[in-house]
Amino acid sequence: MKVILPLAIVFICGFYMLITFFIPAKFAQDSSQLLQLWYQGVAAFFVFIGIFNLIKINVDRIQRRLKDWEYSIILLSFLGVMLVAGFVGGRDSRVFLYLFENFQVPLGATMFSLLAFFVASASFRAFRAKTPEATLLLIAAVIVMLGRIPIGYLIWDKFPDLIEWIMRIPNTAAKRGILFGIDLGLLSMALRVLLGIERSYMGGGVEK
Amino acid sequence: MNIFERLSQLDRRIIFLLVAIAVIVPMIVPLNLPVDITKPVKNVYDKIESLPEGSVVLVSTDYDPGSEAELYPATEAFIEHCFRRNLKIYMMGLWPAGSELGNIALNKIAKYYNKKYGEDFINVGYRPGGAVMLLSLGRNFSDVIKVDYQGIPVDSLPLGRRVKSARDLSMVMTFSAGDPGIIHWIIYFHARYGVPVCGATTAIMAPQQYPYLSSGQLVGLLGGLKGAAEYETLVERRGRGLRGMDSQSIVHLLLVGFIGLGNVILLYQRRKK
Repeated sequence: MKVILPLAIVFICGFYMLITFFIPAKFAQDSSQLLQLWYQGVAAFFVFIGIFNLIKINVDRIQRRLKDWEYSIILLSFLGVMLVAGFVGGRDSRVFLYLFENFQVPLGATMFSLLAFFVASASFRAFRAKTPEATLLLIAAVIVMLGRIPIGYLIWDKFPDLIEWIMRIPNTAAKRGILFGIDLGLLSMALRVLLGIERSYMGGGVEK
Repeated sequence: MNIFERLSQLDRRIIFLLVAIAVIVPMIVPLNLPVDITKPVKNVYDKIESLPEGSVVLVSTDYDPGSEAELYPATEAFIEHCFRRNLKIYMMGLWPAGSELGNIALNKIAKYYNKKYGEDFINVGYRPGGAVMLLSLGRNFSDVIKVDYQGIPVDSLPLGRRVKSARDLSMVMTFSAGDPGIIHWIIYFHARYGVPVCGATTAIMAPQQYPYLSSGQLVGLLGGLKGAAEYETLVERRGRGLRGMDSQSIVHLLLVGFIGLGNVILLYQRRKK
C-alpha cells in the first residue's frame, strides 16, 4: 500500500492535469485550477521547511562545535533579526529596508562579483588554444567579449553586428539542438514517472 | 628564468589586483564611452512606445541580490520608460528577494513621476509556486492573488480590479536570473494566452534566449549590464548601467589580454619542448 498509493496519486493527478491542459471545457479547467491552487498552498510551506532546515543544521553545527561554527551564530542571529524586523515593522519599515538594502543586497552582490576575479584568473591559466575546438571557442569568446563593450564598437563598428550574427545563427542552432534533446529527455522522464517506472522520487533511490 | 617562465608562474593575487583596479578606476574617472544599440534591446523600447497610454504592463522581478548589479539598472530604466509613457505597472516577483528589489525601484521612480499607488501601479509581491502558479494566474488572477504585498485586498484597488486574467495585460516584462523566470513566462503567458513577453536577463543567460527571440516568442531582450546601458541610452537616463559599462569595458579588455598572454606562454612552452 505504501508504494501503490503514491503511484496511484501521481498517475491519476499527472494524467488528469495533462488531459485537462488540452480541454477548454469549464469543468476541466476549473478542476485543474483547483489542483494547481493546492500545489501553491503546498509550495508556500516549502519556505517554512527551508527555514526549519536551516535552523536545525546550524544549531547542530553550533552544538557540535563543527568547523566555522561561529558563522552559524551570525547566520542565525541575522535570520532572527530579519524575521523580527519583517513581522513587527512590516516590509516597508525603515529597519527592514535598511537591513535589506545595506546587508542582504551588498552581500549577495559581493558573492556574485567574486566570479569576475576567478574568471580573470581562469582566462589566464586555462583558456588555452590546445585543440582546434578550443581555438574556435576562444576566438568566438574574444569576439563576443569585445563586441559586448563600447570599446569594441570603437575598435571596429561591425563588432556588434558580428556578435549578433554569432548569437542568432551558430548559437541559436546549437541551443535549439540542446533544447530538443532536453525536452525529449524531460518528456520521457515525465512518462516514466507518471507510469510508475521511475520511482526514485519516493526515496531511497531504488528504481524498479 | 626568462619573462615567459616568470609570467607562467604569475601569482593569482596580482591578477585579482589588476581586475580590482580595472573595475574601480573607471568608476572614479568615467570614460563616458558611447553605447551602440542592438536590435533585441530596441525591440523592447519599440514595444513600449507602441502601447497606448493606460495599457497594463506586468513587471516580474525574478532575481535576487546576486544579480542585482546586472538587473536592477534595467529595472529602473524600464519602469521610468513605462511611467513616462503613462502605462500602468502591475508588479510581482517569482523570487522572494526580487519582489523587494522591484519594490524599491518602483517606489523610487513612482515618487519622481507623482504616480499613485493602486491606480498607476501596484505590487503584489512574491508569489510562490513557479510554473504551476503562472498557469493558474494566467487564467484567473483573483484565484492566486487576493492581497498586495502590504496585505491590502487587490479588489479594493482600481488597477487590481482591472486585471482579471492574462488577457488584460498588454505585455509582460520579466527581469530574470534563472528558474523560475523568463522561460516560464514564455511558456505560460505567451504560448498559452498570446501575451507579448519581453525580458531582461543576466549576460550569462542571454545566449539561451536567442532561440525564443528568433521564433518571435520573445519580443525583445536586455542582456546583462550592456542591455541595461543600451536601454538607458534609449530612454536618455544616465543610470548605473551606463556608468558600469566603463568598468566592464576595461575588465573585458583585461580578460582578452590575459587570454592572449596565456596563449603566448603556451606557444613558448610548446616551442621549448
